[in-house]
Amino acid sequence: MGKGKADLLQGTLDMLILKTLALEAMHGWGISQRIQQVSGGVLSINQGSLYPALYRLEAQGWIAAEWGASENNRQAKYYRLTRAGRRQLEEETRNWERLAAAIGQVMEAS
Amino acid sequence: MWRRVARGLRPLWRRGRMEHEMEAELRFHLEREAEENIRRGMSPEAARAAARRSFGGVDQVKEECRDARGGGLVETLGQDLRFGFRVLRHNPGFALLATLTLALGIGANTAIFSVIYGVLVRPLPYHEGERLVVLKQRTPLAGVEELPFSVKEIEDYRGRNRTLEGVVEYHTMTFLLLGRAEPERVRVGVVSANFFDLLGVPPALGRTFRAGEDGHGAEPVLILSHRYWRESHGGDPGIVGRTFRMNDRAHTVVGVLPAIPQYPQENDVYMPVSACPTRSAAGFIGDRRARMMTVFGRLKPGVPVTQAQADLATIAGALRQEYPDAYPARHGYGATAAPLREELTRQARPTFLILLGTAGLVLLIACANVANLMLARLMRREREMALRAALGASRGRLIRQLLTESTLLALAGGGLGLLIAAGGLDLLVAFAARFTTRAGEIRIDALILLFTLAISVFTGLGFGLMPAFSFERDLLAALKEGGSRATAGAGRRRLRDALIVAQVAVSFMLLTGAGLMIRSLLKLQQVDPGFNPEKVLTIGLNPNWSKYRTREQYRDFYRRLLERVERQPEVLSAAVGSTYPLNPEGISFGPWNRNYVIEGRPLADGEPAPQADFRTVSPGYFGTIRLPLIRGRAFTEQDHEDAPEVALINQALARHRWGEEDPIGKRVSFNRGETWITVVGVVGDVKQYGLNREVTDEFYRPMAQFPSGNNLLARTTADPSSLARTVRRLVHEVDPETAVTDVHTLEEARRDSLASPRLMTLLLGLFAGLALLITAAGIAGVIALTVSQRTHEIGIRMALGATRASVLGLVMRQGLALAVAGLGLGLLGALALARLMAHLLFDVEPTDPLTLLAVTALLLVVATIACLVPAQRVTGIDPLRALRAE
Repeated sequence: MGKGKADLLQGTLDMLILKTLALEAMHGWGISQRIQQVSGGVLSINQGSLYPALYRLEAQGWIAAEWGASENNRQAKYYRLTRAGRRQLEEETRNWERLAAAIGQVMEAS
Repeated sequence: MWRRVARGLRPLWRRGRMEHEMEAELRFHLEREAEENIRRGMSPEAARAAARRSFGGVDQVKEECRDARGGGLVETLGQDLRFGFRVLRHNPGFALLATLTLALGIGANTAIFSVIYGVLVRPLPYHEGERLVVLKQRTPLAGVEELPFSVKEIEDYRGRNRTLEGVVEYHTMTFLLLGRAEPERVRVGVVSANFFDLLGVPPALGRTFRAGEDGHGAEPVLILSHRYWRESHGGDPGIVGRTFRMNDRAHTVVGVLPAIPQYPQENDVYMPVSACPTRSAAGFIGDRRARMMTVFGRLKPGVPVTQAQADLATIAGALRQEYPDAYPARHGYGATAAPLREELTRQARPTFLILLGTAGLVLLIACANVANLMLARLMRREREMALRAALGASRGRLIRQLLTESTLLALAGGGLGLLIAAGGLDLLVAFAARFTTRAGEIRIDALILLFTLAISVFTGLGFGLMPAFSFERDLLAALKEGGSRATAGAGRRRLRDALIVAQVAVSFMLLTGAGLMIRSLLKLQQVDPGFNPEKVLTIGLNPNWSKYRTREQYRDFYRRLLERVERQPEVLSAAVGSTYPLNPEGISFGPWNRNYVIEGRPLADGEPAPQADFRTVSPGYFGTIRLPLIRGRAFTEQDHEDAPEVALINQALARHRWGEEDPIGKRVSFNRGETWITVVGVVGDVKQYGLNREVTDEFYRPMAQFPSGNNLLARTTADPSSLARTVRRLVHEVDPETAVTDVHTLEEARRDSLASPRLMTLLLGLFAGLALLITAAGIAGVIALTVSQRTHEIGIRMALGATRASVLGLVMRQGLALAVAGLGLGLLGALALARLMAHLLFDVEPTDPLTLLAVTALLLVVATIACLVPAQRVTGIDPLRALRAE
């Protein structure tokens, strides 16, 4: 990974995927692009770990997949958030906020 | 929940489609990425390469995706199974050897387990059978451990106990049943009216006995056993209400028992106690010492057997006080209770536990062998495994693959083993029947199938895990080295060696067990029975005793019969006796220990009366079985009913009671001095109750003075069984109402008495032979592998001038060192375990040095051959080719 890019914190990939899918249904490549764009290029997804994560989330019932036409008019597998996934995202968001705030406090204190 | 399960199982039938979709999805991703790269200005080729680069290993990702997806386990199991089948199909030799080895091991265990379960574990087929107990009384100081009960005693225990719901009695008799085409001897269980209610046995037809039907003067009624009803009466549905004559009275059939095994013995019919002439005689009922019956009870709900035991002991104490005559202090009378199930299987338990242990050891050896085979194969498959690991298979996945293969093998072995077990079961049932009436309950049912499945899976996991965990350490090394020379890791070599040592050690123990049994059997066969069993016919006579009310009538019957039999040209001599040596029925009843006194030797206070076995014979008996007269004279026709009462004794009795003194002319009494009987001669000792039994003290009385014999013996010049038909005709000529049963020869009786030790020897020998074979295959396998692995090294040695003999020695030394280590361990194990076998052995010490030596020699020879065969390939190695092959 090049300069200016950050490694993903352990366990945050799932949360980022869920968050990305909260806006709209998307295919795998789109998800990786979106995360990269939104983070201003700081977060780059290791594509090798993206798909196993998607399969895992699907198996847990947090996201669902269906085939649809892509932006360039080809068949692609689109993932969308399920109701259970939305609840999971809310919980992970809360956890993340607590964690981020706590880390922030520690860093400011020193 | 259901959705989850459905999703988990979906891969099973949609595997192809899901793989296809995954493929399409990843392809889409790569194409999109490449397009993006082109948009940024890369050439199409560079764009595709960059997309691939940033993606990483596609196959690895796929594998991870499969793992991540729920149901991955199911799906990979399917893959593993398919792959496993393919691997095994491509190695038929290995698969066949492993399956056969396991089948023998699992089959042996299944068969023995089904016997153990049927006999020792399965609950009795009675309502709440665990509450049933056997009442026991004993007089240990007089040497009697199992004293039957008298009517008075039964009444006392029934009336006084506080722990039993009911107390019932049982004894068995044989009566003649008339009313059918031929007189038929039937075995009759004589029981209390509530016997079947207490046991909890409902009738299959009609009813069981009613209260009062065992009372004095009740009409005689009968219940037929299911087997007798089916076999002798063709399962006649109208049997209830029919009458048969027994003991000169009409007996009405009231019911048929269900098809369950009967305890304590199999009988043909059952009658209430009031119908048995012996049991209902006033003199018998009134005599506290007229003991004949077995007594059962049912514990009250929640009462432990220990409480009942204490209860009965208290009653026995009270009886001792109340009837000091019947229970003299010098006999030490006591009473207790034992659970019926334990009582019925007490004899079978040690034998079958030994067999189970043996079968378990055989399975262990089989497992070790298959584990070794798998290890050896694993070495050859190292490259395949390393390659798969490099392609993204996780360690867990590879182990799972190996376990799938081993479990497949074990299941195949289990299936085949089940067939082997089913085939050998009849033999085992016949064997078990010699120890317990429960043998009839042995069968292969759902539980046995479950057991087979369980041990198959366990052995599969067991011998699969061993190699699986050993290989991953060497995985990287294997990849680095490449080529087929991948050397075995030191850890794995040690594991293989340890397996071989263990196999040899266990084989040593099994062979020692079998060897001891063989030695013991040989000694048994050499035992001099004291008589000559060749060409002697034995026939059971069952006269209608109610026709022979006086001694004269019976005397007349057997004299007329003997006369006719002796007139046959092929008959050398004939006799009638109360029993004959090694008579199976006699063996099951045991000696008749009668008290007697010797004239001029009054018993000191507290001294138990001497006891001896007692039989009656006609004068021709000794000549017929060739039982030698040692001193004095044998019986003659002059020892008739009006002559002075005489007896013969055997050498054992003469030695015990008279020592150096001459017993001839001495007098003894069986009725405390009322009448005296003169000893007129001494005859040889006979193994009456088994070739492995001590000779008991014996009295012989002349048939004329004590007519009670119902066995006819005839020594013939030809094959004795050819005489049977003639004798049967002669019996019916003399008395058409006498049933002829149990046609045997003395030689058969002798052979039969050794059937149990012979079968046990056969089984242990079979198991040990199996173990030896498997172990030899194991040793040969290890050496063969060593040779193929060290071909290169041996080539170098030979190129440097080592002779063929020296490299052969090198390989042999390796194999024999393992064998010797195993022998040492096995010797220790055999010495530790031998004691368990002591009760099975006759005249052989469990640590018999000859057996141990022979087993050591046998194992060494087998190990040497097992090493030599594959090691010889060493001498065929061409140094040049071996070196070039690298």
